[in-house]
Amino acid sequence: MADTVTAPPSSGQTGRAAAGQDLVVDDLVKVFPGDVYAVNHVSLTIPQGQFVTLLGPSGCGKTTTLNCIAGLEEPDGGRIAVGEAVLTDVSRRLILPPERRGLGMVFQSYALWPHMTVYDNLAFGLKLRKVPGPEIRTRIAEVLELVGLGQLARRYPFQLSGGQQQRVALARAVVARPRVLLLDEPLSNLDAKVREQARFWLREFQQRLGITTVYVTHDQAEALAISDLVAVMSDGRLLQYAPPHEIYERPTSRFVADFIGQTSFLAAVVEEVGDGRARARLTSTGAVITSMLTDNPTKAGDRVLLAIRSERIEVRPDGDPGAENVISATIKSFVYVGSAYEYILDTPGGEIRVAAPQAIVGPEVALYLPPDAIVVLPDDPAAPSSAAPPEAEPPVPLMAPD
Amino acid sequence: MAVAAPPREAQVAAGGGIAWERPVQWGLAIVATFLVVFPLAPLLYQSFLDRPLYEADKALTLGNYGRILTSSEFWGTLGTTLLFGVITTILSVGIGTVLAVLLTRTDLPHRDVLHHLVMVPFYVSPLVLAFAWATIYGPAGFLTIFVRTGIGVTPWELYSVLGIALVAAIYYVPYTYLYSTGSLALTDPQLEDAGRIAGAGPIRTLISVTLPLLRPALAYSVILTLVSAVELLSIPLVLGSPVGIQVLATYLYKLGLVGGQADYGGIAAVSVMMLLAITTLVWAQTRVTGQERRFVTVGGKATRGRVLALHGLRWPLTLLIWLYVILGVVLPLLGIVLQSATAFLSPLVNPFTLLTTQNYVTIFGEGSYVRSIWNSILISTVGGAIGILFIALLALVVYRSTFPYRGWLQYLALYPRAVPGIIVGIGFLWAFLLIPGIGPLRNTVIALSIAFIMRFIPLGFGAIGPSILRISPELDRAARVSGATWLHTIVTILLPLLKPALVSGFVLLFISFLKEYSSAIFLFARGSEVIGTTMIELWRQGNSGPVAALSTIQLAITFVVLVVSQRLFGARLHG
Repeated sequence: MADTVTAPPSSGQTGRAAAGQDLVVDDLVKVFPGDVYAVNHVSLTIPQGQFVTLLGPSGCGKTTTLNCIAGLEEPDGGRIAVGEAVLTDVSRRLILPPERRGLGMVFQSYALWPHMTVYDNLAFGLKLRKVPGPEIRTRIAEVLELVGLGQLARRYPFQLSGGQQQRVALARAVVARPRVLLLDEPLSNLDAKVREQARFWLREFQQRLGITTVYVTHDQAEALAISDLVAVMSDGRLLQYAPPHEIYERPTSRFVADFIGQTSFLAAVVEEVGDGRARARLTSTGAVITSMLTDNPTKAGDRVLLAIRSERIEVRPDGDPGAENVISATIKSFVYVGSAYEYILDTPGGEIRVAAPQAIVGPEVALYLPPDAIVVLPDDPAAPSSAAPPEAEPPVPLMAPD
Repeated sequence: MAVAAPPREAQVAAGGGIAWERPVQWGLAIVATFLVVFPLAPLLYQSFLDRPLYEADKALTLGNYGRILTSSEFWGTLGTTLLFGVITTILSVGIGTVLAVLLTRTDLPHRDVLHHLVMVPFYVSPLVLAFAWATIYGPAGFLTIFVRTGIGVTPWELYSVLGIALVAAIYYVPYTYLYSTGSLALTDPQLEDAGRIAGAGPIRTLISVTLPLLRPALAYSVILTLVSAVELLSIPLVLGSPVGIQVLATYLYKLGLVGGQADYGGIAAVSVMMLLAITTLVWAQTRVTGQERRFVTVGGKATRGRVLALHGLRWPLTLLIWLYVILGVVLPLLGIVLQSATAFLSPLVNPFTLLTTQNYVTIFGEGSYVRSIWNSILISTVGGAIGILFIALLALVVYRSTFPYRGWLQYLALYPRAVPGIIVGIGFLWAFLLIPGIGPLRNTVIALSIAFIMRFIPLGFGAIGPSILRISPELDRAARVSGATWLHTIVTILLPLLKPALVSGFVLLFISFLKEYSSAIFLFARGSEVIGTTMIELWRQGNSGPVAALSTIQLAITFVVLVVSQRLFGARLHG
């Protein structure tokens, strides 16, 4: 193990990993020509039956990780296994070709074979698995019913709408009862409205099958909405692996805080830590800010960033700038986005973004930063991730949702 | 929720067994390597030998190079070749570019018909084109005599470097035309729109926006035409050798086949030097096209740009193109067809009073002539089918596999472009002489098929490659994840999707094999004649009537194949 930064749900925790069919990715490395670490020592365990999303900007290594799991790319290091079945173990020179892995995959373009009907597309994998003819027919009928396309078996892909193609692709991926379902941005080709519906539908579909699922997207809203666990990646590294609410509420690095939601950062120095609180002095004004959350261990004297979501900041037109956790600001610009007024405000410590339900009377305002909305992050711009310690507790949303 | 929930244990596709993927890929790579190296190695070897490579007591020597490099005939020939090549290239690329821009980007009338007529030389053997031009514009040609009778002087001299270059240029115009129209089709028309918005008029836009965007296609066309012209045998042979104009290809022909003793060492030395020069040019061309990405505008947009209105220039320009097409292509080809059906063709006698079937009787009355037709059809059909399948598999290894040497294999597949046809023939002949055990194959249609396939790997590769690249790799990835091996994916997904490209590629190879003569000239023997070799033989005997008949037969076969493939299979050979 090299400098792995994250704490995946520990497999040694209770012994439940060995019992199940968890997908375990251990110390995965993929180097592209030119010494580019597309995947940089990534380890994570995807618990059986869970929906896990790999989230990050393009080029972060999420698709490469997915392709390594699928066997479409050969990693330079690491091990991938589902339960007892080892799919990849570079140290033993074992890399199963994709066709021997027993996985299902939905591609960004759906990749429906244009010269085959929907039925033939679905039958392809079943025939290769030597499933008897009558069973092929019943299984295809079953799964097409499941995706609500029972009557379209004889159509060709070009005769289907985008949403229908996406469902056929999904049906094809699960019809052979794979160990794991892999989804490579399957919703990105849909219109915004259809896409939101597809999101709910996909989640429901996955829960009905109870199939272990790895989903790749760069859309943070999608990731939060659909997943049991979200793995945020950047530059080939896994930065944080946790349930959606934790990713959102308690990011462990500036990158994660910045990438997900709208976050402002204020530089500060920690004054004292204790009693579930941290008190920090803003570098800019010297004002003291109290924070409730201390996931990230800090000690007095540490340089930190105080991160706060735009919608958690309260605007107090008549607030006292001297009061605790109140800072003064000047309105710089705003846009109206329907559900909120989004402001950019100037403070001595830099710009702050605020999403307010009503228009603010300005230009001078006081902002209240609730202690429980502030996350203390290490201020280490060089390596935003490497300081992230293991999470205090492993994410435990491991119960099946039903 | 239990209804459809499948059991958890995964089913993995059956048939792990032996992985055929690598053996098959290695097999294809080895065959391809063999095809390319097979004819070249003996040439290199022979160029350093003091006597024919099949004789005993031979010794290594540099004498061949010395003899050639001190021969004034060689230097003179080289000079003529370069002059011929440069004039051909300038004419051909110039005409081709202007035609491409005018016929695809403007509102010229008749452009659909003209488009087809401009492409005709693509399907015609250069040998036939040379005979056709000689029939009309040669010293005793129909139009030459017609004009001379009128004005009293000989109006032009076809049997000159300029005349030969003009015919060669017309033969190569379709290549530039194809690359330029292809490049124009991929150009985002919004770039031209932006030029208009910025204040440029239509002609100004063509010159400042459209033409510069064609630069990669033009660079490619220049080098391709130059390389092809330098290796061209037929047109200089037919139009140049009667008056002693000699280029490198005809020089090799003379060294090997004319006169008594063939100069093996000399042939090999000239061949090796030609190969080196052409390889350098082709390498330069890959450098040029390697940069093409720089010019790729929004890729593959099917939307057609608004065409430019030429206004007053419309009809004059159309007339000019019609003149080019009729004088350059239609008239000569009609002339040779007419000649095949007349005792002799002259403007002084009404040809329709001299109609005869004698030329065809001559052809069909002689066993070896008939055999050459059947051999050509056989090689084109069977060799073409095997060839296109082999080339498609090769291209799939290059573009759709993890074969470690696929990059190298692509280079290898494109290399025969740098090998002149006549050298391919010599090389294969010597390889068959040199390697024991395969002697019986020499001088059979099998040997010719192998040589033809090798010669046209790049052509087939160029036809199939883009079609493979247009198929999303996710389609094969989906098959792999579904449980198919690489080989199974090729057979069930990629080859079916490539069917249109395979049909087009086959027709392309069929026509090329039917046209081919230069690599057969050294390789054929009694029993393995093809149309091209028979035509040259008849021409050397001075039988212009039967030559015309054979040319007409070749044109007819090509025409039938083109029409049938387009009507029945929708084959598209270009565009």
